Amino acid sequence: MYRYDDFDRTFVAERARQFRGQVARRLEGGLTEEQFKPLRLQNGLYLQLHAYMLRVAIPYGVLSARQLSQLAMIARTWDRSFGHFTTRQNIQFNWTKLEDAPAIIDALADVEMHAIQTSGNCIRNVTADPYAGVAADEIEDPRVWAEVLRQWSSIHPEFTFLPRKFKVAITGAAEDRAAILFHDIGLKIVKGPEGETGFRVYVGGGQGRTPYVGLEIATFLPRDRLLSYLEAIMRVYNLHGRRDNIYKARIKILVNALGLDEFRRQVEAEWATLDRPSIDLPAEEFTRIAAYFKPALLKAASAKDADLDARRHSDTAFDRWVRNNVVTHRQPGYKIVNISLKEPGKIPGDASADQMDAVADLARRFGHDEIRVTYQQNLVLPTVASRDLAAVYDGLVAAGLATANTELITDIIACPGLDYCNLANARAIPIAQEIARKFADPVVVQSIGPLRLNISGCINACGHHHAGNIGILGVDKKGTEHYQITLGGSPKDDAAIGDIVGPSFTAEHVPGAIETIVATYFELRRDSAETFLVAYRRLGKAPFRDALYGTGAKPAATAALENADV
Amino acid sequence: MPNVVTANNLRSGAVVYLGSAGRWVDHLIEAAIASDAPALKALETEALRAVESTEVTAVYAMDVAVIAGRPEPTSVRERIRAAHAPTV
Ligand code: HEM
Ligand code: SF4
Repeated sequence: MYRYDDFDRTFVAERARQFRGQVARRLEGGLTEEQFKPLRLQNGLYLQLHAYMLRVAIPYGVLSARQLSQLAMIARTWDRSFGHFTTRQNIQFNWTKLEDAPAIIDALADVEMHAIQTSGNCIRNVTADPYAGVAADEIEDPRVWAEVLRQWSSIHPEFTFLPRKFKVAITGAAEDRAAILFHDIGLKIVKGPEGETGFRVYVGGGQGRTPYVGLEIATFLPRDRLLSYLEAIMRVYNLHGRRDNIYKARIKILVNALGLDEFRRQVEAEWATLDRPSIDLPAEEFTRIAAYFKPALLKAASAKDADLDARRHSDTAFDRWVRNNVVTHRQPGYKIVNISLKEPGKIPGDASADQMDAVADLARRFGHDEIRVTYQQNLVLPTVASRDLAAVYDGLVAAGLATANTELITDIIACPGLDYCNLANARAIPIAQEIARKFADPVVVQSIGPLRLNISGCINACGHHHAGNIGILGVDKKGTEHYQITLGGSPKDDAAIGDIVGPSFTAEHVPGAIETIVATYFELRRDSAETFLVAYRRLGKAPFRDALYGTGAKPAATAALENADV
Repeated sequence: MPNVVTANNLRSGAVVYLGSAGRWVDHLIEAAIASDAPALKALETEALRAVESTEVTAVYAMDVAVIAGRPEPTSVRERIRAAHAPTV
């Protein structure tokens, strides 16, 4: 992985020193809250309901074992011994104190981490395919470009005060595992006519109050032109983005107001005026950064493993875990291991300090020292030898991390909601817990098949509810928490925004409504190979709406209707 | 509706309420209740002083229901804040 050079180290240390001074001045009264707030936000420090929250950047979701152990140490020393992994592949500490923040920032700097640009109207932490570098369907490792973008966008003087936050996601694989179509800019590494690699560029995707699926602005951008092209996009946005209205300030609004063709015309006109050689990445620099991401030299290993097969045969829980959480690695004899942070009844995305240490330890022993964070709020060991799967599994069982539900209905994505968040309308975590409890039987969950369920506590959509196959949005109705359900969203290559199925439900009726939706799918699917999303696209929302609100509705749903504010 | 004044402790971020004699307290039950506009104004003036002396931040007045002489939160959000903990 990337290692800081002297420049990076000096820069991060200098920022930590500045921040320490800013906090000291705030505590002594030299800075007012108005003066201090933008400074703390530039360092990822928010004030939430109960405490300060620190959002730490995990560049493109990549962590070393040492870094994860340090996060565990921070959780123990300055928080309540846990952290929350987020849909932006970051980690948030929910219980920090302002007076401790400088020490935490120093502890992060010790392991080449920071919280810079995790908030504010700047280019935020770039997110990427969590299987980068190891995926079987990958054209080129996107981490190299993600690191290039990190360096390009870090305190870029022109893009530090944008109209609004700006999020970039990148993948180098055939399958989109980074939700690139829901980002301000989505980048997909593709092959050009001569077999050379370049970028397909999408712009104007996003969630929040006005969700949009990104539009293709460039079909094939030569790779050595990436930075100048992005700079052109940023300049057009910086100039014309709506600074007068926070709800219209994201690039998606500009792209849709101008229309894609006009937006593209303006970007290309701007691009033509730029001094590209001074902006674009020199080939030597690419080579220098790429060297950090050289694939580990893996010993050849047999793809067949008799011990593994025997264990799968005799241990159904292990077999289920292998089936759901373990995926193909580009090298035979090795596997990608998904670690679920979604044990039913627990808080989605939370990991205790002990669990972080356990994962770090497994990464050291069996995982080439690497961990990834996914936007589904889970962890990944990207490279594990097939023969070590059983040992990794046993370690995960001991740490309470062996839930076998990757991409299944209990792999719920949920934001902190009203239990922590200052902007929330409604709680998200207890809804996730109740739904997961309803679907606690792994056999039932398996038979439902792939199903994304997402919950956000308000329209900001931090829990990606718009992109969930089933989405749940917390709304406030005359002081009570209500939940609106959407169906048919997708965060993948077939990206779609879910349709609102009908009037909202009170909290106690949400789990029953989800059961009704799943039961309807079960009844109407062609066969078990037809996933929820495919069935929904064939059937439309009518049968689900009827089941939830219609006369023939099941008891739970009828009660829900009575409680719904039509 | 009666009001109390709440804020977050500047150093720790913890939820606090303005009690009697300008003291900031952890528990809503100890908060000073303002039942009319002049009383609320007095609490807010007091709170502003605490902002200036860097004791608290994010000050605001909130509605409470007074039940048997005790202030009770009237929203889920304020119930969660008053508990100093998530509900999960
Ligand atoms: C301190 C708590 C948080 C605050 C104040 C906050 C604030 C916001 C706001 C205001 C938006 C809407 C942006 C817009 O529409 O322009 C947003 C979007 C978003 N946030 Fe958060 N958020 C918080 C926590 C989180 C967490 C915990 C996650 C991950 C679980 C997250 C991930 C996202 C994502 C993915 C989006 C939607 C994508 C987009 O920008 O369109 N945020 N957040
Ligand atoms: S979606 Fe709303 S409630 Fe959830 S974290 Fe984002 S801002 Fe808070």
